[in-house]
Amino acid sequence: MIRTENLTKIYNGKAAVDGLDLEVGEGDIFGFLGPNGAGKSTTILMLTGMIEPTGGRCLVDGIEVAKDPLKVKEIIGYLPEDVGFYGNMTGEQNLDYFARFYGMDARKRKERIAELLELVHLDGVTQKAGEYSRGMKQRLGLAQALINDPKVLFLDEPTANLDPEGVREYRELVTHLADEGKTVFVSSHILSEVREVCRTVGLLAKGRLMAQGTLEEVARALASPDGDMVRIVVETREHLPAIDDPAIISVEGNGNRAVVRAKADIRDRLAASLFDQGLHVREMRLEEPEIEDVFMAAYRR
Amino acid sequence: MALDRLLNVARKEFSDHITSRRFVIILGLLLVISTISIYDGIENYNNSLEAYTEQLRQMEEFDDPYRNWMPQKPTIMYVFISMMSYMTMLGGILAIAIGFDLVSKEKETRSLKSLLSHPVYRDEIINGKALGGIGALGFAMALALAIAVAMLLLFSVVPTLEEFAAILIFGAVTLGFLLAYFAVALTMSTVAKESGNALIYTLVIFFAVSSLLPMFGAMAAGAFAGDPPEMGPMPKEVVRVASSNGYSTTTVAQSVVYGGTEDPEWKAYEEEMKTYIEKRRLISDVSNLLSPQMNYYTVAIAVTNPQLSSMIASPYDTATEETAGLAGALGRVWMNIAALIVFPSAFFAATYVKFMRMDIR
Repeated sequence: MIRTENLTKIYNGKAAVDGLDLEVGEGDIFGFLGPNGAGKSTTILMLTGMIEPTGGRCLVDGIEVAKDPLKVKEIIGYLPEDVGFYGNMTGEQNLDYFARFYGMDARKRKERIAELLELVHLDGVTQKAGEYSRGMKQRLGLAQALINDPKVLFLDEPTANLDPEGVREYRELVTHLADEGKTVFVSSHILSEVREVCRTVGLLAKGRLMAQGTLEEVARALASPDGDMVRIVVETREHLPAIDDPAIISVEGNGNRAVVRAKADIRDRLAASLFDQGLHVREMRLEEPEIEDVFMAAYRR
Repeated sequence: MALDRLLNVARKEFSDHITSRRFVIILGLLLVISTISIYDGIENYNNSLEAYTEQLRQMEEFDDPYRNWMPQKPTIMYVFISMMSYMTMLGGILAIAIGFDLVSKEKETRSLKSLLSHPVYRDEIINGKALGGIGALGFAMALALAIAVAMLLLFSVVPTLEEFAAILIFGAVTLGFLLAYFAVALTMSTVAKESGNALIYTLVIFFAVSSLLPMFGAMAAGAFAGDPPEMGPMPKEVVRVASSNGYSTTTVAQSVVYGGTEDPEWKAYEEEMKTYIEKRRLISDVSNLLSPQMNYYTVAIAVTNPQLSSMIASPYDTATEETAGLAGALGRVWMNIAALIVFPSAFFAATYVKFMRMDIR
């Protein structure tokens, strides 16, 4: 449904997005992760036809965005980060203004707007959008992104201003939309948020895609790309003696328990050595790195 | 560009303008001042009409010393002369007030990004904004003219068809002037990141082209034209011929007679003076073309008082009936009319280019 090929955007000689190749399938909830300034919003702006790429191309539902941005905008919805509205108009008036661009007749507009305002719990709110709280604006933003019943939904930091209840409702809504066959592209720098709703993720850093797949696949791909160490947890019934192996980097021991940091998975050799010394092994396992740690390490790279 | 999308933007912008407190307050002030000055103008017109009737009566009673002198019937266009002065100030402020934050406010509130995410081209947005602003200014102008015409009718002054046409032309010229500052404000709103800066830039341009430019033009004219020619010996006899054009203008032509023929020295001085004044005027006229105020004054005077306009344009020629008419007066100020069109067009073009290339991150 969404595809980018060598997508590049250069601002003042610096690449904000650098040769991005990405593919998101239909009905997927894709989490676009990356630290601030990684190029996530720039990518979304190119995908939504709001800016033109410097190089490469991007396609949404087979339509090349740069060549026919209007056609793409007709089938997508976009919730920008820190979404803004016309402060002198009510939420309903704002939605009506946007809905007119889709050629919807008055009756259809009225029905759709009422439906969406109810969905985001802003029905019956008569105050002007300028008086809305940030959370209310975010909910209205979600409604405006859905005004045309889009095939593809781009959400840029969607939970940034929502309260816990709003976040829960947002998650339910996204899941529901994906179940309807819509593709949801969620950009965020908060891993926990992406983890909750997204089926696949892509990690962007310094304008480049570092990995793409399920969260576990991405975590594995990022965990030891250049021979990083392995952590082995060992526990014996007896007090642990000094452990010696050329692959070991360090050992943090505490009586009968130790965490061995080694260059490779040396559990077999370690078990044999302990057995030879007459020790009874209670536990020996590889300690998987936390996904957060992997992503943090990747962010820092 | 699709018309429905363009009109959707224009409709929303027009509605925003005419319901905004800022627009309503300035327009209200403008209409109140307009009403008062039109009332004053009608009184002056009635006084001129009485004076004209009296002059005609006196001419019939007594021998007229100036055989060619014929008082001219005042026209109701004199009523609109006072409108010029407050239009340049309040009208200009109104035009700036509706234009200075048209784009910058959208950037500040981030509504531009939301708008651009829907199927609408950038040129439709900026053209719609311009159209909405022009509509609002046109509405303000139409309201001011409607009140003026209503007051004329209320005081039993019925414009002739020609006068009605002149009123409409005056309205169009005034709208052209308002558009000049609206265009400047819109450009600055697109260039500046914040509305406050956009307002400051617009006011700087407003004062530069309305006050500084004519002043520099006059200084440049003085510098390039050099010193005025020296006057020769005093003429022996001066014959003055006076003529009046009714409401407020009087022209005095003088010629020097020496022994029954014109004094050649005086004649030469007159020629030099004429050349000097024309040279000065040419330079100041060129610089004034960049000032919407000066162009507006020139064209508005041609519409409201073609005789005065004719005298200003050719101070050494006696205006004929033909050239003193509205069409003739407008023909003489065609460059100012063109400048009133080119000035906002140039700023609108700059706005268009800037908006199309604007970084919306």
